[in-house]
Amino acid sequence: MVYILIIILSAIAQYFGPWWLMPIVCFALCFWKSKSVKEAFLVAFAAVSTLWLGLALYQNFVTEGVIALKIAELFRIPNASLLFAAVTVVGGIVAGFAGMAGYYCRAAFAPSKHS
Amino acid sequence: MKYLRAFLSLVIAVGLTYLLNRPLGVLPAVGPFFSPFTGFWQNADAPLKLPPADMKLAGLKGEVTVKYDDNGVPHVFADNDEDLYFAQGYIIARDRLWQMDFYSRVSAGRLSEVMGPLALDFDRYNRRLQLPEGAERLAKAFLHDPVSKMIAESYSAGVNAYIEQVTYKDLPIEFKILGYQPEAWSPLKTALVEMVMRKDMNARSDDYRMSNALAKHGKDVINDLFPDYPIEESPIVPAVTKWDFTPVAVPKVPELMKATIAANLDVEAENPGIGSNNWAVHGSRTATGLPLLANDPHLGLSLPSIWYQMQLVSPTVNVYGVCVPGWPGIGIGFNKDIAWGMTNVGSDVFDFYQIQFKDKTLKEYKYDGQWRPVTSKVNEFKVKGLSTITTDTVLYTHHGPILYSEGQKPFFGDLPIGHALTWVGPVAQGNSLKALYISNRGTSYEDYQKIMGLLAAPGFNLVFASNQNDIAITSSGHFPLKWEEQGKFILDGSNPEHDWRAWIPVEHNPSVKNPARGFVSSANQFPADKSYPYYLGWKFAPGERGLRINERLTNMQKATVDSLRLMQTDNFNIEARRILPDLLKILEQDAAVKSSPAYAVLAKWSLKNDPSEVGATIFERLVRELRLAIWEDDFPSKDEKTPMSLPTRDRTWELLKKQPTAKWFDDTHTSNKIETADDIVKTTFKATIDSLTAKYGPMSPATWAWGTAKSTDIKHLVPLFKSFSRMDVINGGGANIINATTDAGHGPSWRMVVQLDKTWPKAYGLYPGGQSGNPGSPLYDNMIDKWAKGELNELVFLKSKDEKHPKVVSTMKLQH
Repeated sequence: MVYILIIILSAIAQYFGPWWLMPIVCFALCFWKSKSVKEAFLVAFAAVSTLWLGLALYQNFVTEGVIALKIAELFRIPNASLLFAAVTVVGGIVAGFAGMAGYYCRAAFAPSKHS
Repeated sequence: MKYLRAFLSLVIAVGLTYLLNRPLGVLPAVGPFFSPFTGFWQNADAPLKLPPADMKLAGLKGEVTVKYDDNGVPHVFADNDEDLYFAQGYIIARDRLWQMDFYSRVSAGRLSEVMGPLALDFDRYNRRLQLPEGAERLAKAFLHDPVSKMIAESYSAGVNAYIEQVTYKDLPIEFKILGYQPEAWSPLKTALVEMVMRKDMNARSDDYRMSNALAKHGKDVINDLFPDYPIEESPIVPAVTKWDFTPVAVPKVPELMKATIAANLDVEAENPGIGSNNWAVHGSRTATGLPLLANDPHLGLSLPSIWYQMQLVSPTVNVYGVCVPGWPGIGIGFNKDIAWGMTNVGSDVFDFYQIQFKDKTLKEYKYDGQWRPVTSKVNEFKVKGLSTITTDTVLYTHHGPILYSEGQKPFFGDLPIGHALTWVGPVAQGNSLKALYISNRGTSYEDYQKIMGLLAAPGFNLVFASNQNDIAITSSGHFPLKWEEQGKFILDGSNPEHDWRAWIPVEHNPSVKNPARGFVSSANQFPADKSYPYYLGWKFAPGERGLRINERLTNMQKATVDSLRLMQTDNFNIEARRILPDLLKILEQDAAVKSSPAYAVLAKWSLKNDPSEVGATIFERLVRELRLAIWEDDFPSKDEKTPMSLPTRDRTWELLKKQPTAKWFDDTHTSNKIETADDIVKTTFKATIDSLTAKYGPMSPATWAWGTAKSTDIKHLVPLFKSFSRMDVINGGGANIINATTDAGHGPSWRMVVQLDKTWPKAYGLYPGGQSGNPGSPLYDNMIDKWAKGELNELVFLKSKDEKHPKVVSTMKLQH
């Protein structure tokens, strides 16, 4: 549920606004609904990784990979597929820590019955 | 505890996001750069790009229709001129914003602000050349005239309309990688772009090298080996032409400066790649009975390309051609009635003055028997990555700034002497925007004449053709009125007679209209022969390209577009025709050489620098080595302290033919033997083959072919961005070949052939790049392969916005 919501809401936010709306969405959704810190981190990580990697792959596909190779070469990254790994990790980590913060803040300031 | 946990987790999340939102050292901001929503992924264009959406733009008066053809060329239709130039700025910014910003930063000496300390020396030098001061004067001239003011301001407003609209996602990728934002455009930035052109064309000098040679060898030797006019030459204005003006008085040659201090100024001495060809053929020699015009300006080949194709249409104009991003109007092109093109004149407009200071405080310098105050200016640089402002103090005399070799002590020995620079860049006025306004709308030879006074610098050989069957060429520009050989050597800064005091009247510039031979042409050679009453310089580009062009045009009847297109990629080596038989005659005396496979290849060579020719590879290397082998001992061009000029190839071959026993052939490094021309040629041939073998392996058609050996690179403007470059483009040609593509990455940066017509002209052209400045676009370098093959695109020259043309693929409307 949270996984799907992060994907949809953060996609809308990032389409219209700067990239850093993404961690804010993760924070808010994990604040609202997450059962454990582990879950918050992982769900946010997974959702944004999916979104970022998916969109990057799509972009790469429709543009016939014209830019990924050049960027990889420019930064001396031996293999263009490492760029996709980087996208997954960068997006995921930012999202994960934002989700974690969301959970902890909820736990501190508005604890629900579960926690 | 739980509060601490919440706080810490929040700090980590916010901190991480903040950190990734900022550039890390030389790396771009990771977050926005990698995000597939905004980052580099968004700079990739699909092969079938969606047509651009219609736009509402504040600042437009009416509606502008932009039709894009399948090559990405915009055809802009506006209801008035203000909207036309506004739209030109807006449209070009969409494709080339980073490049425009880059040129203006180069010229302003502000590249290090975004590139860091790497660019600092370059910035310092450009400021010392006074590019920013020159731009300020030009901008003032633009704003002084109502027409050019309208152009400069409308264009700026158009560029700024795009800058205000563009988000990070759509920013050119170079901004994302280097982590900075475009600056607002202005008429001053347009002037800065023009100053880059002045520098590229004119800021070269071998005065100090000539002075060093003069000090060592004396005037007689210099007169003999560095003559003021070549032995083989075919000047732009045919030798038979009578000058139809009464010359103004030329200053007498004053007393020359005797002592010359050994100098090594860090200034580019010569660049064989900067040059161009243009020609126009009169209707009496064409198949259609009306003129044909061709132009291929040779510049540093870069990506994004220096040129951008456009058609500009308003009620006052319908013109097609290429422009330089940042510079409004069409620079080289054609309209319904006329066509025009340019090559660099390359006259001597960059002179050094030796300055004698009074003492080590450098506060006063000698001039006309008195001590004059030295002024100074502190240039400031906000270098990226440095916390403090870097400064550079420049001393000025009335001649101009004192230049010295970077990284060396500014002044030599105990004598407080410096070198002041006078050059055309910051002083020549003119109004290029007005000139282009007139030429873009020109209908006849009279209009062509109107722009002459407006073109100040760089000097251009402006070729012209009209559908009234007029052809003409003029070496346009403001040239200093010099005494004979003024500026061949370093000038005396204390003698007023050495100053630049006046300009040659522009009506006296070398010019010819409808000559009897039925064509006009230029290839950066001497504008006129020795009958021309003014001194323009002692050396121009080597004569071979001009000789070959004139030879081909002389023999051409019923010329067509295709005959001119083929001429533009002519690879015939006229220097080889001149000197190779002599070299072979010498080489065949040596049995070992004569039996070698390399000799056989050279002897059988077609004399064409075609990509598959091994003979071209051997010849080009041989003549380069030969010139060094003959002269380097007497005129050390690579000496660190006192470098000298080498005599030209023209003079060298004459010596080889006529005086094979001249003392210059003796290698002064060998004391037991006196070498002759024959000895030098033989040993150099062997050395040439050895070094080619060392570089390319044993001789074989695959590895020694000229196309492979020369290997043209078309690099991104930031050479570090190697993957945005196109390396090793296989093609033929050479510096002194009509197809002037060099191994140093110079060459025909735009090829155009126009067939004039009473009703509607036909034109062909392309440049080695693409309309888009975006490395992620299929239109970034799509013309390179065709260019290398010598093909041209038929240019889409629309009659009106309603014309249906099969190559028009999308339409965009810009509205108020």
